Amino acid sequence: MTAPASPRLLLAGALGLICASCATTPPGPPPDVVRLEDQLERLHADPRIAGNAGPELANADAAVDTLARNARTLDAADYQQGVYLSDKLIQIAEASAFARYAEQRGAALGAERERLLASTAARSVAPAVAAASVPPPVGSASANLLALQSQLGGLESRVDERGLVVRVGNYMFEPDQAALTPTAQRSLDSLARALRAEPGTTVLIEGRGAAGDGQSAAARAAAVRDYLNARGVELARLDLAARPSPETTAPGQARVEVLIRTD
Amino acid sequence: MNRHRYRYLLLIAAAASGSAAAIERGDAQIELAQATAAVQTAERDDAARYSPADLDEAHAMLVNAQQAADTSAWRNVAIYAERAKVDGELASARARQHRAEAATAEIERSVDTLRAQLGRGGAP
Repeated sequence: MTAPASPRLLLAGALGLICASCATTPPGPPPDVVRLEDQLERLHADPRIAGNAGPELANADAAVDTLARNARTLDAADYQQGVYLSDKLIQIAEASAFARYAEQRGAALGAERERLLASTAARSVAPAVAAASVPPPVGSASANLLALQSQLGGLESRVDERGLVVRVGNYMFEPDQAALTPTAQRSLDSLARALRAEPGTTVLIEGRGAAGDGQSAAARAAAVRDYLNARGVELARLDLAARPSPETTAPGQARVEVLIRTD
Repeated sequence: MNRHRYRYLLLIAAAASGSAAAIERGDAQIELAQATAAVQTAERDDAARYSPADLDEAHAMLVNAQQAADTSAWRNVAIYAERAKVDGELASARARQHRAEAATAEIERSVDTLRAQLGRGGAP
């Protein structure tokens, strides 16, 4: 039977354990905090993010700073909670900044698009062939389509082997809806006028959406058909179709192509 | 920083000072209500389409918070609700990012087409 340890010996042992634990505690912030600080640094160094940083980045900064200052005093559960929240706040800051960046870029491109459309209309640009590899139709049918194309204002169009293709882009619809924007309606007015003046043409309205998103594509195609019909183009001339488009990857963002042919 | 956001830091600071265990029913219920609102906002932002993983995580955390509330475990309610709230806000932010980038890509394609048309018609 061993003798019980004296209180002095127990105290010395406890002190020894405490000193040993002090010696093995790594200096500096915990790895999670270092990782979060590195992520924040990356966000601040990216001009697309730093230039579009809203309150979200300030929130992430504050959360990581608070966590870093208190990391050593938190229990495991609270520390993990702090890491979780800080991590998510950083991701929110990044996504929000990229959204603003894309929105600003979209606005600039939209202004550029308007300028280009105005240039196209003002100069009555000679009808273009969009795909260089696709030869345009030849003969009088082609001439009729080219003449019709020159009447379109505010719409992108091309003449290819199928006929005159007028593009009604995703941005011409209300977000995630089939409703045409007011600007798109004004643009389609010129198409309706041209179609009324050319009763011999046939019209196929194709909704082009992501695979599995035929409903959205069909709804947008129907919206274009109904608008043209409301502007005096006979319903019997307006056929509808919907098909997948490799360009469109997100559901709800279908575009519409109006294919016009001469008989 | 608004009060809504500031609660994250309050939770961390409270935990650091050892007072987190004193989270009471009223505080936890406020957190739960805010989390529910954030998840509903994400659903309205169509996060199920654009950011389904984040929305799923938000839903899971909200369920955990509600289950903790059923047993009056108020500290757990606050913890899970805080997580559901940031997950819901992240889902909303990613949905906004995705929509903005998709719309910009569409306009960019349109601009490229118009530039090509003008180029073939003769540059100004």
